Amino acid sequence: MDLLWQTAVNATYAASYMALIAVGLVMIFGVMGVINFAHGELYMVGAYCVVFLYAQETFPFLLAVAAGLVFVGFVGIVMERTMFRPLRDNPLGGLIASIGFLLILQTLAVFGFGRRMGHVPPSTQGKIEIFGAILTYQRLFVIVAAILLLAALWAFLKRSKFGRALRACAQDAEAASLQGISMNQTARVAMFIGAGLAGVAGALTAPLVSPTPYIGHSIIVTAFIIIIVGGVGSLEGAVIAAVLYAFVHTFVTTFFDGVIANIVGLALMLAVLIVRPTGLFGARERA
Amino acid sequence: MNVPGERPILEARGLTRRFGGLVAVNNFSFSVHEDAIHGLIGPNGAGKTTTFNVISGFYAPTAGRVLFRGLDISGRKTSALAAMGLVRTFQGSTLFQEFSVLDNVRVGRHLGARAGFLSRLIGTDRISEREADAKARETLAFFGLEELAGEPVSNLPHGHQRMLGMAVALAAEPKVLLLDEPFTGMNPEETRRMMALVRRIRDRGVTIMLVEHDMQAVMNLCDIITVMNFGALLVEGAPEAVRNDPAVIEAYLGSTDGAGHAS
Amino acid sequence: MQAAGTGGLVRRTAWRLRLVFLFAMLAALPYLLSYSQQEIAVLLVINVLLVCSYRLLTLTGEWSLGHVVIMGVGAYASALLAKQFGVPVPLSMLLGGCMAAATAALLSFPLFRMKGFYFLIGSFAAGEIIRLIWKRFTDPFGGPKGLKRIDPFPDIEASFLSVDFYEPVNYYFLALAVVSVSLFVLYRIERSRIGLTFHAIHWQDRLAESVGVDTFRYRTLAFVIASFFAGIAGGLYAHYVGAVNPTRFSVDQMVYVLVWAIVGGTATFHGPILGVVVLTVINEIVLRALGLDTARPLIYGAILILSVLYLPNGLESLGPRLQARWRRWRGGPAAAGREPA
Ligand SMILES: Nc1ncnc2c1ncn2[C@@H]1O[C@H](COP(=O)(O)OP(=O)(O)OP(=O)(O)O)[C@@H](O)[C@H]1O
Ligand SMILES: [Mg+2]
Repeated sequence: MDLLWQTAVNATYAASYMALIAVGLVMIFGVMGVINFAHGELYMVGAYCVVFLYAQETFPFLLAVAAGLVFVGFVGIVMERTMFRPLRDNPLGGLIASIGFLLILQTLAVFGFGRRMGHVPPSTQGKIEIFGAILTYQRLFVIVAAILLLAALWAFLKRSKFGRALRACAQDAEAASLQGISMNQTARVAMFIGAGLAGVAGALTAPLVSPTPYIGHSIIVTAFIIIIVGGVGSLEGAVIAAVLYAFVHTFVTTFFDGVIANIVGLALMLAVLIVRPTGLFGARERA
Repeated sequence: MNVPGERPILEARGLTRRFGGLVAVNNFSFSVHEDAIHGLIGPNGAGKTTTFNVISGFYAPTAGRVLFRGLDISGRKTSALAAMGLVRTFQGSTLFQEFSVLDNVRVGRHLGARAGFLSRLIGTDRISEREADAKARETLAFFGLEELAGEPVSNLPHGHQRMLGMAVALAAEPKVLLLDEPFTGMNPEETRRMMALVRRIRDRGVTIMLVEHDMQAVMNLCDIITVMNFGALLVEGAPEAVRNDPAVIEAYLGSTDGAGHAS
Repeated sequence: MQAAGTGGLVRRTAWRLRLVFLFAMLAALPYLLSYSQQEIAVLLVINVLLVCSYRLLTLTGEWSLGHVVIMGVGAYASALLAKQFGVPVPLSMLLGGCMAAATAALLSFPLFRMKGFYFLIGSFAAGEIIRLIWKRFTDPFGGPKGLKRIDPFPDIEASFLSVDFYEPVNYYFLALAVVSVSLFVLYRIERSRIGLTFHAIHWQDRLAESVGVDTFRYRTLAFVIASFFAGIAGGLYAHYVGAVNPTRFSVDQMVYVLVWAIVGGTATFHGPILGVVVLTVINEIVLRALGLDTARPLIYGAILILSVLYLPNGLESLGPRLQARWRRWRGGPAAAGREPA
């Protein structure tokens, strides 16, 4: 019973950073129509922002996290401007270019920090007990930050003019541009937010995961599973799927092992793909 | 004019197709007789293309059945239906744009040019391939396109592309040919030629069902016309009867788009 | 008619001469290389088969991210058959190819319900699952460390001839022979009606379907054939290097195959070959000479992005383009003068 409860608390932590990553990926897909393969590396860059600013240069942790969000957001803008915009009519080309970008980010991280695990000391030492389960402040911090950020994003998308523009572009880019919505502007903001969310997830979890330049691989696999299970186009779906997947993965890891958990996750994604083989593009397909 | 046979070769019974909440085809029934040229008309969005899509196996029907020579074919694969002799063309120029004209028709000969994997590999499929080639050229000649055999499709004017689309379908040697708007985008001269060709195809023993907005062409060409509106059957009958039917006039006037076409 | 006949003959003869010349070059090549370069040449020949088999799959318009894992299936199967069951190595390679093909046939049922992105991600997931199975099950797959001391290709010991396949030169010729035959088969398939049908499915699957092409069967066929030859490449790899592990067949390796195919261009048969040869030469000779080994992924990444952006039809399109430009440049002033500005 204790173990079950503790595992549930651990899963909540996993769900919160996975939701940040997946929501970012869905934002990018929604507006750009591109599956960003470099999303795991954006997470990695966010983590290394904390390695550099907090662990090496001893800036305050919070400041390093904020810097991670903004810096990775700008990396996203660079990606939009240099790759996704010129390849707007060629989604497969965009995906492949993002694979190229992934390699570049990885190599730059190796140059900057070496291949080995970066060590980040915890920013707080405390922990709380919730009905017998232990939750470190460090993890609690991730959960709180994720909830705050996602709530802020939700409010922003519902209330602001940009939210409407974003939905319009995601539904029909051509019609949106006829209504005077600037596709470039919308794409830039979406890319900043999408990348920034991946970056902040990496920054927040850096003290907990010991980043390496190659950490992006497991992150992107996780993110793919979540967005496919969540229905690719939907932000709410991504959050729900993140919670679902985090619980499945954490429980299977605890009671079996991590590799089995990964296999289960991938099989889950394949199952969803088999049942709903076309996701968003269903209209083109036979029903 | 040929007198259509008595036997229905293609039938729909209570055909229904929904897309989410939208009912594109609603409890629709008709029967096409052998050797007929059967028109299917209706205002834009009436569900004509969807009906073709269901008959030809691109969509499964939500309810109802399709019978081909008395056999229930609802929900079968498009390719299997083509093998049985039910072939459709597409609205607009759906062609292998990157291929030459001849290669387009060669793909149309897919079913006629059977050979095993190994014989393809070592080249003993040459006999059946040469036959397929000859058949393909013959089909092109039928449409007067033989001169263009080597051209890339993208060089062809629109009218020729529409004809090529029919040539590809005809190369599959159908028993029933479903034509989706064969005359759109053609000038009157081209339309006249195309109508003559459709008649000649019918005279070769191919039953034809066609969707078309060019009312003059439809009235001249068809033996019988089925009118659909909002996915359901409105009227069916001989061209003159349909032309003067108040319900049909009402339906077309009710939809501004349709009225434009029905001049 | 007569003229066309002799023209065809001349062209065919020219083509044959070129082929003879090519093979003469390939036969002479290893003797011009150092030992370590010979080893690279062996891997290059194997990679040529890998990327050409990949192209066959892309003919139907689907891009897989599992092709390297399928190669791994061939490698693991061939290695295990030889190690555990004592199957003679040439036969085990063939069976490895069959195993890869069978895996593809099985996977095609879930995967070919998907298209485009979804196929890409589905194939990625399927490949990862296979890789994780190798990782997780130490018996028989050896776990994360993989299989070691895989039986080498048996030496030929006849009275007049003795060939030791441990020597890279000899393995190079073996691989060259296997790959040449495989490429010939792939080429024949593409030039036959099967290839025409693959292309047709790529450009207009609905039209193809409407004239009787069973697109699912043909997609599966392309996948199975491509996988068979990827499996053969895997067998060649396993019995040359002598060790395989899950990391060797990870998505990073798949990225290289993508880069080769895309940089070379997939519109023609020779495009991907051009891609893998040019990039390997750049990689092994230029980068190594400059001591830029660690920068290799970065440079590959940059090349990938630049070629998607500026050379969407690959290196193969460069020749005709340069020719056109050259002709325009030579006839330049006159032609420019005639054209209204
Ligand atoms: N795949 C689909 N998903 C959702 N709705 C569809 C789909 N295909 C057709 N529809 C809808 O079904 C209705 C009937 O469309 P259909 O294309 O059959 O009309 P049509 O009679 O062929 O019209 P037109 O004369 O303009 O070609 C339309 O409202 C259309 O929007
Ligand atoms: Mg229509």
